[in-house]
Amino acid sequence: MHKKMAFSFPDEVLEHVFSFIQSDKDRNAVSMVCKSWYEIERWCRRKVFVGNCYAVSPRMVIRRFPEFRSIELKGKPHFADFNLVPDGWGGYVFPWIAEMAGAYPWLEEIRLKRMVVTDESLELIAKSFKNFKVLVLSSCEGFSTDGLAAIAASCKNLKELDLRDCEVDDLSAHWLSHFPETYTSLVSLNISCLGSDEASFSALERLVHRCTNLKTLRLNRAVPLDKIANILRHAPQLVEFGTGTYTADVRPDVYSDLAGVLSSCKELKSLSGFWDVIPDYLPAIYPVCSKLTSLNLSYATIQSPDLIKLVSHCPNLQRLLVLDYIEDSGLEVLASSCKDLQELRVFPSDPFGAEPNVSLTEQGLVAVSLGCPKLQSVLYFCRRMSNEALVTIARSRPNFTRFRLCIIEPKTADYLTLEPLDVGFGAIVQYCKDLRRLSLSGLLTDRVFEYIGTYAKKLEMLSVAFAGDSDLGLHHVLSGCESLRKLEIRDCPFGDKALLANAAKLETMRSLWMSSCAVSFAACKLLGQKMPRLNVEVIDERGPPDSRPENCPVDKLYIYRSIAGPRFDMPPFVWTMDEDSGLRLS
Amino acid sequence: MELQLGLSLPSTPIFPFKMLDLNSYGYELREGLGPFGINVNNNCDSCSSSCSSSSSGGADDGGGGTKKRRLFDEENRIVPKTLPLLFWTNQRPNDEDEPKDVDDHSSSAIFKNDGEGLVGWPPVKAWRKKVRRRVANVRAAVENSCGGRASSSTYVKVKMEGNAIARKIDISLHHSFESLTTTLMRMFDISDENGQKSFKLTYLDREGDWLLAEDVPWRTFIGSLKCIKLIRSRC
Repeated sequence: MHKKMAFSFPDEVLEHVFSFIQSDKDRNAVSMVCKSWYEIERWCRRKVFVGNCYAVSPRMVIRRFPEFRSIELKGKPHFADFNLVPDGWGGYVFPWIAEMAGAYPWLEEIRLKRMVVTDESLELIAKSFKNFKVLVLSSCEGFSTDGLAAIAASCKNLKELDLRDCEVDDLSAHWLSHFPETYTSLVSLNISCLGSDEASFSALERLVHRCTNLKTLRLNRAVPLDKIANILRHAPQLVEFGTGTYTADVRPDVYSDLAGVLSSCKELKSLSGFWDVIPDYLPAIYPVCSKLTSLNLSYATIQSPDLIKLVSHCPNLQRLLVLDYIEDSGLEVLASSCKDLQELRVFPSDPFGAEPNVSLTEQGLVAVSLGCPKLQSVLYFCRRMSNEALVTIARSRPNFTRFRLCIIEPKTADYLTLEPLDVGFGAIVQYCKDLRRLSLSGLLTDRVFEYIGTYAKKLEMLSVAFAGDSDLGLHHVLSGCESLRKLEIRDCPFGDKALLANAAKLETMRSLWMSSCAVSFAACKLLGQKMPRLNVEVIDERGPPDSRPENCPVDKLYIYRSIAGPRFDMPPFVWTMDEDSGLRLS
Repeated sequence: MELQLGLSLPSTPIFPFKMLDLNSYGYELREGLGPFGINVNNNCDSCSSSCSSSSSGGADDGGGGTKKRRLFDEENRIVPKTLPLLFWTNQRPNDEDEPKDVDDHSSSAIFKNDGEGLVGWPPVKAWRKKVRRRVANVRAAVENSCGGRASSSTYVKVKMEGNAIARKIDISLHHSFESLTTTLMRMFDISDENGQKSFKLTYLDREGDWLLAEDVPWRTFIGSLKCIKLIRSRC
């Protein structure tokens, strides 16, 4: 019966139906229905997502999806953000660009995260894809402004150039002048990561002036406050704006210019930047505050009273990023003013100081959880926590989908009872049934992992540090968390047993990172030998793991499923455990 | 720490469904052995016999949970395609693994480098650290000009490469690199050979980075200094 139905629709009809299915997960599900759907789907998939660039080879992707227009690739593991992945580990995009340059002259969009992008890659992109429209580089490195110049010069249809959180070799600000005078299609430009040297203001101004469709503009720190008015004057249609440095001698003309031009931006919904903020200039943004849905003040080193004033002007705020200068008092105001708040991130102003420098505690998080009914995503750095607070938070906010708590001092106990925080985090996973991402901190025993394994059925990503007592902890997670895709662990006493007992689980996940744990070289070899569809990488800067006894723990372990087999671009300090010899040196 | 993995897999390829179900290794923390009372050191022949006599998992409590709760509903489990490489035992891990072993073998005891600073902790993006560096340095410089220090103690740990014993010096007694290095040389009994400095002065700053002291002005050094290490000059 079903077979008949499949044949009764011409392929074009099914293709048309599939064109409404955008999400990757759904597309993958569609392709698994039957062979003919697999075939139709693969010919009409336009956006390809590869969560781990080493899980599959460029050629395999090209073979399966002959007509995609957009690709998203992710490279290094998440812990690379915190310097845990040594430089040179991998994640090179060039082989992908090279393969696609030949196969896909019509490629339009490339989105990369945590990959190494060279100027050569950028130049190849500029040369190969005539209709190239979107380049988003998130937390990437390896390129300079020369590569950007190549993109600017050649990509006539470029709509989006977004360099969020990248490390760019800032050789010259004049790369912006490489956009030809005839070029007007820019819709989104994010150069906030570029260096603080002199920027080519006039080129920037002219660019903004002629690109009348510009909706997003995120400037870098080099752009001084008094230049902003000139730039914004040409772009009253902006929806998202990131200032440069927000400090200047307090001058009434600069202020009124700025306030005037900002108030003419009627579409503005998102503000960011605010480096080196001088509080005197903050009121200039008050006219736009009532429409703001997103505010990133995470570089704004202003104190609580100024933050409170600002936040109370923004009743429609959905997303707030802020430093802990906001303090508990500021978060209480936030809780009462911003009832639409969905996402909150509070960053530490002094992460390495021994003593708290601000009055920000668990109370702030409790206040926001109680007061903001739509809150679903939180990243919170603080210095103390209690089980009681966590239980209150969990009970009042069961709609959390992302909960990341970082208590700055490792292994900090409940400050009220001196007990571990197992019960508190247990409440989070028990009440928040849709929780997809969780980061743990504080003093935690194997118990918390039992709770996680029992309740966190939708959990996809878990980050663990300085927690647990034994392999039982890891076993709870690997055997209980059905939806787990990414697990990253550092400095926990997890060894071989849980890993080997749950080896099959690893094939159902994207990746597992374990550093400074207790997994022996012998176990890594065994895993590599017995699990051909896993790449088991041992990262150890101390030297070859076979120069130490087999039962010695490895420094870092990165395991990921792959149908591409072991990679060959590894640096000297990475070894892949595989079937043949158990050890392959690069 | 000997690792006996029971590498020889059972000869019969067909196992009862419940046996293969990795997720039903019911570990009752409060009770004795779970359904698989297997000692990890046994070879697999005894595994199969004790496994087949295991009790069935039982249905999931559906939230709440009594003490005796089984954790998963077995009928919903999919059979994993590979066999576990190790059968989980419910023995208290402490009986077998001495947690002390972790410290013995691991170069990664919880506080690396004797509290000189953890790499990548707190988990703040490097990109944000750069911003903070500017902020911290400005503040440190201001504090120093007022004669104060960010932290209350002025004693700083000093280590020398090749020397296991760390020393401490009162950094507030020094106002220049010259006086600091003279004191350090005396402390560690180093002498200048042929006019060449045999050791380089490096320090760990507040962001967790190791820097060469000679690259920065004294004020910057003082403002962000956490501890000092003397490394051999190789030139």
